Amino acid sequence: MELSNKSSKGKMIASGIIPFVFLVIMMAYIFGPGADLLDLGIPLPEITMEKVDFVDSEIQVIVRNTGPIPVEVAMADINDRIQPAAVEPDRYLNRYETALVRIPFEWNEAEPYIIGITIEDGTRFEKEIEAAAPALEPTLELAAFFAIIGTYVGIIPVMIGLLWLPFIKKISKQKYHFFLALTAGLLLFLGIDSIEEAIEVSEENLAGSFNGVLLVATVITFSFLGLYYTGEKLVSKAGSSRFTKPVAIALMIAIGIGLHNFGEGLAIGAAVGLGSIAFSTFLIVGFALHNTTEGIAIAAPMSRGKTMIGKLAALGLIAGAPAIFGGWVGGFVYSPFTSVIFLSIGAGAIFQVIITILKWIREEGDKNLSSAAVASGFAIGMLVMYLTSIFV
Amino acid sequence: MKSRSGIMLIFLVAIATVSVFYTALPEGINAQQEEKTFVTHTGAVVTTTGEVLDPLYTSATVEFDPMEYLRDFNYGRVSQLSDGTTVREFTIIANDDEIMEVSPGIFFNVWTFNGTVPGPTIRATEGDIVRVKFINNGEKEHTMHFHGIHPAGMDGVFEPVGGNGGQFVYEFEAGPVGVHPYHCHVMPLEEHIVRGLYGVFIVDPKEERPPADEMVMVLNGLDMDFDGENNFYAANTIPFYYQHHPIQINTDELIRVYVVNMVEFDPINNLHLHGNLYNYYPTGTDIVPSAYTDMITLSQTERGIMEFEYEYPGKYLFHAHKVEFSEKGWVGIFLVNENENAVESKEYGT
Ligand SMILES: [Cu+2]
Repeated sequence: MELSNKSSKGKMIASGIIPFVFLVIMMAYIFGPGADLLDLGIPLPEITMEKVDFVDSEIQVIVRNTGPIPVEVAMADINDRIQPAAVEPDRYLNRYETALVRIPFEWNEAEPYIIGITIEDGTRFEKEIEAAAPALEPTLELAAFFAIIGTYVGIIPVMIGLLWLPFIKKISKQKYHFFLALTAGLLLFLGIDSIEEAIEVSEENLAGSFNGVLLVATVITFSFLGLYYTGEKLVSKAGSSRFTKPVAIALMIAIGIGLHNFGEGLAIGAAVGLGSIAFSTFLIVGFALHNTTEGIAIAAPMSRGKTMIGKLAALGLIAGAPAIFGGWVGGFVYSPFTSVIFLSIGAGAIFQVIITILKWIREEGDKNLSSAAVASGFAIGMLVMYLTSIFV
Repeated sequence: MKSRSGIMLIFLVAIATVSVFYTALPEGINAQQEEKTFVTHTGAVVTTTGEVLDPLYTSATVEFDPMEYLRDFNYGRVSQLSDGTTVREFTIIANDDEIMEVSPGIFFNVWTFNGTVPGPTIRATEGDIVRVKFINNGEKEHTMHFHGIHPAGMDGVFEPVGGNGGQFVYEFEAGPVGVHPYHCHVMPLEEHIVRGLYGVFIVDPKEERPPADEMVMVLNGLDMDFDGENNFYAANTIPFYYQHHPIQINTDELIRVYVVNMVEFDPINNLHLHGNLYNYYPTGTDIVPSAYTDMITLSQTERGIMEFEYEYPGKYLFHAHKVEFSEKGWVGIFLVNENENAVESKEYGT
């Protein structure tokens, strides 16, 4: 009995594995070494200039081989005029490998430059810099500056938004649903905004081989599923643990907003790093204003539980403080690739929060999502964000 | 259950963190690598552990040596007709599959006469019979069109020579005196020329010009990305070559440069000489110079002869005064050495 059981189990495993083995063999046949079945035309080399830094008398470029074949960096130019340069560690770049190209050049602050890199077959790639600005040195002073900016943009506005809590607490169920829906509307706008930003960054700075839009979609899905799973567990446990359900939902919202604010911090840090003072000021003011609405988003679900100042402050920090980290990353180690990743994670988190809120309304509102309060709340949430976004 | 969701979160954070460090930071620089220094065009000294990207071209790595080309004149296989007329026979083989290192580390598919860009400098005396056996080993049709005076059937325009071994013999009397280009004349003409199918044809006067250190400079450009604009400019093809390998000449010695502008796409090119002026003979057809200047401007296929002597030893730049061209390679240096054979020594100052 036991034996036959074992053998049937073995058969089952074998029957599962055998098609897989054939699949592997087929893949090896199509893509493996020496396979010329898929020789569809000439593979073109491609490099991407991921980062350009202006340091004393030098323009430094980080170049990545983003094409299907190895390349050799052969020449550098500024504004189409050939310049002697150094490439570290060496000129040979395998797929996705990077090198640092140092071009000695007496650049002028705030002037535009076009950086050109030519590879061994004579193909020239270029990147346009709108305004040269000295690279940020990661000093304590600057780190403190970003911390202060992050506090103003992230933490304080969210805390201010939380002050609406007593007001939301006193209103009727209908109005409460209105505010929850408003929150969802605000977040939907933020989510779409993040996607737009992520796609824009990927189109401007990432090589085609990264498949920018699909990368964004994939990361959003990952982040959504990961957080959705985590969130469900948290909410389902909420009743039995020290978390109450509203707190669990608010925590989810705070995490989602936190990731979003990390993206905002990135944007500010990168703008400061690129030396666009006017633009970064604009971002700081705009983000600060519109982040107060994020406080409302956290406050809305919390209004149905006991008010716990400590927890509220903690949630405010979770939502707001990432703006500081974002500023550091954006200012000191900015890379378009990471910023696309973070923006996408943020978008996924936001969609997860929206689903959670909608479920919450549905449960609270007698399994009904089609009330006037919900519809108008959602619409007004979007509208408010759209209007504030005009100023950013 | 809680731990599993925790793992999920940690997983996401880990992905984000790794991607930050992987993408944001350049690859670690190996401290053990030796340091090199190089001097930029403006004189700054830069130290690097990596490789230097600079057109520090050495003839050791390639077949085409601009220094050799500079003073290489091909007089052909010489024979005499019964009436005493000199016959000069040349063999020119066209090809279009050659890959040439046109700047250090940059390889380009050039089209060539006898394997080089420019093709060989052909030289004859006025009245000689020039007989060029042209073999086309390329895949496309090519011809040889000589500037100068010759019968219609020898013009290399309406007699395209097929590839893969097609042949044609061009025969004509050398003339008029001067410096002339020859080039392929097959459509699309611009491409056949800019890829390298051209060279210089010098017709010397029967009464020889005064002895001089003679050289040929073909001003040319290369369009690497086929956008109708040159990426490189040079005298004799290789950008910056004569800057890194100065042309050695002597004081008080007559220098005669045959200059031919073969640049396509740009309406003009020019040649400016430092620390000196030259006598300029447009097209080289006259024995009286048209100008005494340090700067001439040439349109496509315009050419001439310049003659000068340096009085003071040292390094002198020559370059296109269209500075864009010189910053893309059309720049060089004459290194003037004290002439040991000079009869009298000169004293400067008081
Ligand atoms: Cu041709």
